[in-house]
Amino acid sequence: MKDLNFVTKILHNKFLKEDPHGALHMPIYDNVAFGFKTAEDIELAFAGKKPAHMYSRISNPTIENFEQKIKAVTDSLGVIALSSGMAAIANVILAIAGQGDNIITSKHLFGNTFSLFEKTLKPWGLESRYADLTKASDLVALIDEKTKAIFFETITNPQLEVVDIEALAKIAKGKGIVLIADTTLTPPYIFNSKEFKVDIEVLSSTKYLSGGATSVGGLIIDNGTFDWSKNDKLKDDVKKFGPNAFLYKLRKEVYRNLGSCLSPYNAFLQSIGLETLVLRIDASCANALEIAKFLDKDKRVKEVNYPGLASSPYYELSNKQFSGKPGSLLTFDLGSKDACYKFMNKLKLVKRSTNLNDNRSLIIHPSSTIFCEYDQKLREEMGLRETMIRLAVGIEDSKDLIYDISQALEV
Amino acid sequence: MKITVNDKEVNLDKGEITVSELLTISKVENPEVVSVQRNGEFVDKKDLGSTQVKDGDKIDFLYFMGGGK
Repeated sequence: MKDLNFVTKILHNKFLKEDPHGALHMPIYDNVAFGFKTAEDIELAFAGKKPAHMYSRISNPTIENFEQKIKAVTDSLGVIALSSGMAAIANVILAIAGQGDNIITSKHLFGNTFSLFEKTLKPWGLESRYADLTKASDLVALIDEKTKAIFFETITNPQLEVVDIEALAKIAKGKGIVLIADTTLTPPYIFNSKEFKVDIEVLSSTKYLSGGATSVGGLIIDNGTFDWSKNDKLKDDVKKFGPNAFLYKLRKEVYRNLGSCLSPYNAFLQSIGLETLVLRIDASCANALEIAKFLDKDKRVKEVNYPGLASSPYYELSNKQFSGKPGSLLTFDLGSKDACYKFMNKLKLVKRSTNLNDNRSLIIHPSSTIFCEYDQKLREEMGLRETMIRLAVGIEDSKDLIYDISQALEV
Repeated sequence: MKITVNDKEVNLDKGEITVSELLTISKVENPEVVSVQRNGEFVDKKDLGSTQVKDGDKIDFLYFMGGGK
């Protein structure tokens, strides 16, 4: 049969082991441990010489099936599903970098990711160096022999900046360091990370993939493009496991020891969610563009930021990299924080909530919430404004959303 | 020749065999997701058909349970 396309692969990816009842959805194996016929079998399984699940913190059939679906649609070397997107980022960094090492990134990041780098990892001796990644050439001077990776968000949250990924990949490749992309806002289907030479993709599957915020989860996708012998933490693993060194390091050490496993129930929900991913992305991106155009024309709104608007400085780059579908997150500015709060409080349909890619539209004032732990100066450096509102557009009928937004803008 | 496959001694009446052929005759489970080590060193998937198994070799078929190969 010819190579299948995205949705067909998701729906028809074969189970690694045939289900005894012919179940069409992988059942929820919500058990902890698995039994073995003999003592010899359990020894072989522990040594990795028998394909068997042992303990659900390390691997589980329902989670494995979700991982296999993602692997099929990304054409990647391997996938690990985790308890959250933040767990995915932490696992990747801890697998490839240690005390005295550094990673290059931007201050324009999701607030919790910045907190992970600055508050959690920095005291353990792992430095983050910050650059304006939209000017790729600026970061070269920050790279030294202890640099292990460049980390970026494909569309930054909530600044909505878009970096030139090919330019970053060229630098990372030239310096022999790992290129890590957080693709939460542009998951597989919108963005092909392998085509753009990203080595490791991390994302929060809580968002689009889960079916619209049905459950919390995260993914690490290894595109199999990095030569791990160039990373001193993995060079011994490379001799034994070749290109699988990174996946081995995670599965048999970092991921296992940190207990970052996804629950089987969440893996089931996310597998179901994955089946309608394309339909929901298409609907929410179309809505986001329509609302962005409406806000852009409305004189009550000071500024609208959405990479899908032709007026966006990232419009062309975004179209090239994200298949013309730059996610469904947009921001806009009103006259003051007070005006933002009054607007938000008048909304009847759009929910005041801290998430995105729910099927419902959600709204938040990022400066006073997600970034509240940072002082004013740092917030400004992070591209946060008191006058900015973030709208995560859902799949409702766009006319209803525009009516709700319009009535809330009335003073 | 006498080799060791996953810690078990195996006698083969063939004088020459590739790793790929050994995978077949050993009837390994889920061969599409198995990783092969020859004498403790990784054998790339593209080299399985050209890598010869020699007398005394230690061959291991390894699995990364989950989404990895």
